[in-house]
Amino acid sequence: MNDRVILLVEDDPKDEELTLRAFKKSNILNPVVVARDGVAALDYLFARGDHTNRDPAAMPQVIFLDLKLPKVDGLDVLKTLRADERTKLLPVVVLTSSNEEQDLIRSYSLGANSYVRKPVDFAQFLEAARQLGLYWLVLNETAPVTRS
Amino acid sequence: MRQRVLIVDDSLTVRMDIGEAVQSAGFDTVLCADLRSARAALALGGCVLVVLDILLPDGDGLDFLKELRSSPATAQVPVLLLSTEAEVSSRVRGMGAGADEYIGKPYDLGQVIARARALTQSDARGGGGSGRRVLVIDDSATFRNELKQALEGAGYQVREAATGEEGLALAAADRPDAVVVDGILPGIDGVTVVRRLKSDTALRSTPCLLLTAAEGTNDELRALDAGADAYVRKSEDLGVILVRVAALLRGAVATDGESSPSLLGPKRLLAVDDSITYLDELGSQLRQEGYDVVLATSGEEALELLAAQPVDCILLDLIMPGLSGQDTCRRIKQQAEWRDIPLVMLTARDDRDAMIEGINAGADDYIAKSADFEVLKARLRAQLRRKHFEDENRRIREKLVRRETEARFQRLIHSNIIGVILGDLGGRLTDANDAFLAMLGYPRTELEAGHLISAELTPPEWHARDEVAVEQLRRSGSTTPFEKEYLRRDGSRLPVVLGLVLMEGTDTIVGFVLDRTEQKLAEEKLKHYAVALEGANRELESFSYSVAHDLRAPLRSIDGFSQALLEDYSDKLDEEGRRYLRFIRESAQHMGQLIDALLTLSRVTRSELHREDVDLSALARAAVARLRRSQPDRAVDVVIMDGLEVSGDPRLLTVVLDNLLGNAWKFTGRRDGARIEFGTSSTEGHPVFFVRDNGAGFDMAFATKLFGVFQRLHAATEFEGTGVGLATVQRIVGRHGGHVWAEGEVNDGATFHFTLNDKERVT
Repeated sequence: MNDRVILLVEDDPKDEELTLRAFKKSNILNPVVVARDGVAALDYLFARGDHTNRDPAAMPQVIFLDLKLPKVDGLDVLKTLRADERTKLLPVVVLTSSNEEQDLIRSYSLGANSYVRKPVDFAQFLEAARQLGLYWLVLNETAPVTRS
Repeated sequence: MRQRVLIVDDSLTVRMDIGEAVQSAGFDTVLCADLRSARAALALGGCVLVVLDILLPDGDGLDFLKELRSSPATAQVPVLLLSTEAEVSSRVRGMGAGADEYIGKPYDLGQVIARARALTQSDARGGGGSGRRVLVIDDSATFRNELKQALEGAGYQVREAATGEEGLALAAADRPDAVVVDGILPGIDGVTVVRRLKSDTALRSTPCLLLTAAEGTNDELRALDAGADAYVRKSEDLGVILVRVAALLRGAVATDGESSPSLLGPKRLLAVDDSITYLDELGSQLRQEGYDVVLATSGEEALELLAAQPVDCILLDLIMPGLSGQDTCRRIKQQAEWRDIPLVMLTARDDRDAMIEGINAGADDYIAKSADFEVLKARLRAQLRRKHFEDENRRIREKLVRRETEARFQRLIHSNIIGVILGDLGGRLTDANDAFLAMLGYPRTELEAGHLISAELTPPEWHARDEVAVEQLRRSGSTTPFEKEYLRRDGSRLPVVLGLVLMEGTDTIVGFVLDRTEQKLAEEKLKHYAVALEGANRELESFSYSVAHDLRAPLRSIDGFSQALLEDYSDKLDEEGRRYLRFIRESAQHMGQLIDALLTLSRVTRSELHREDVDLSALARAAVARLRRSQPDRAVDVVIMDGLEVSGDPRLLTVVLDNLLGNAWKFTGRRDGARIEFGTSSTEGHPVFFVRDNGAGFDMAFATKLFGVFQRLHAATEFEGTGVGLATVQRIVGRHGGHVWAEGEVNDGATFHFTLNDKERVT
């Protein structure tokens, strides 16, 4: 476990709170940055807009990305990340309510590392969060960050 | 320019004789004594007929004939062979070399002229100017000449004959518009000529004017009795004759243009006898009557000749060496194309047995050789007349049938149920019904003026398709109906279906045209609906997507925060409060399941079916494995039949088995010794799958409610469920072309049967 940032891209504050609660319950203690829409997420990652003062080299350990987002939707965010040298290797976990096959296929084709459907049952949600944290924050070795 | 006939004969007499006759029949002639000059004359061109002798000083006429046939320029020129080599073998050889006609010498001039006319198809009706044609039969050359000049001066065309016999032959060949005949002639007299003309169906409507020198009323009565249309004394002024002729022609009934063969036309006879002496005598007697006579000395020869040249009547000796008269007769009567030729059997004996033998063999008549030749000639005439009337009757019958057919066809056309067009292979429309004209907006006058051309009525991009159709038409006589467009008179386009048929033996095309405008509109409308439907489907899809995504999010909050309350504020709630929170969570989770079930149902309805070979047994085992994992502590005895393979969509069939086995799993939850079975029975060789359990079962009274959405037969407290599963199963099975039904009894288990792909039942 390290203290690298988790970027949570989620427009629903209640889902955000539940997710944060699930992280806490699962002992995931990394700082979580929340972006409420696609634009905010990209601003954070590329250190622009509200995040101009951020160190652009400090990339999150993992991004949890909802698909249905205001302004720029999740799939477009993913596409942009994968097209950019700085972010193309960042682990992205799509975390969404949808279990449409289309979304699943498109997410993976655009380079998502994982696709998790948010269950209604909080217990299941908790279990999912725990496993995600364990895998992406502990077990997974991220690719070295490329500096441009 | 008049049509030219080439006459090649080494005999000056023959050249002059035929040349004169041919000229008076309205042709130009070129007379050649040998092949060299014939070749030179032919090279000048414009030759419509060659009358050719066989034995010529500088070669064989048959070689010349072959030369003609092998050169493209002359291959089509008709050739009439005229030869003393008139025996059967020569005739067969001549016809085989490509001759169109073969007449033996001594010839009958009437025969030659008639055949020449037939070969050149020079029906003087159209060929020789506009004047009406008058045939003058008189033995006085002086009178003939006077009358001819008078008639020609009045604008008539004139043909002349010196005897009644010659006149009749000319009348048959030439079909004049009127006949002027002298009462007194060297051979048959004028009255007989008139009677014969009037008894010939082809000539009876030709007006006849009888001339006589006598003053007596007796002659007049005889003339009128014979059927003459008018009677003029020869002593009258020529002007009177002209006036009468004009009057006759005015009153003459116009014929319908169809020409039937005349009874008085040239006839060819085949005489067969092994006695040369008798044959020669018979031949010369019959030639005097104007017949072309072919003499054959055996039955074999007779059959050979018949195969090469048609004849009008056969005289056949009963007793001959080789093929007997009876056998020859039988063979002739067996051939469809010879069967109708009148056949007169000649017998040496005038006895009953011979007659019976002859008639039994199929002869039409018989005559004793000992009989007078005049009797024989009369019998012959009777046979020819009988044949003529038979032919005439058949012709009339066929004409009536044709008219009836035609009338029916006309009724069909003018019923205007669909457009009908008649045209030629060149694409000109010769006729069309009102339905077709109305489709394209043309008045009938445009059609009648010949202005309607298929290519001009068709937009350019359809021309290639039309050509394909015409090609098909030439090849097979009809086309498969095809779609194309016509141009209306106002320039707009008309979509049609067109089917073409080539009328047998003609260049006439009949086309059936169906207006496709309505159909096109319907198709457009259908296309429009399809687009609308697609839109609606897309909308439904995005609706489902929203349901999937948006309805679940609040549920998650409800469940999540209830859980949070239970965890973080447990001490502030009493047992009742905690119980309520648990209810809230249960409801939220149930609603989550409902949403998922509904989504599955809707996806089943709209997603495409991807068929492949599916192992149902394996799917069932996987489903059961999932169930065992979900409730590892349950002991259920599951039996799955091996090797159940079908064609279907594996994802959807997984849903079916998940539901059916899931139900079975669920409804056996409250009994010991739970048992679930998946297998197949078959009816009529087609598999019926079943999932059977020994669980709670159901009341058959409600069996029909099982498959309705949200229909549940059990209380949620008893067995939980969404009420959507069986509806989903039914839709999937239905989409696979199958059926699903259930049997059960309360507390005694349930069996769900289903079939797939009913239409592909193996027999």
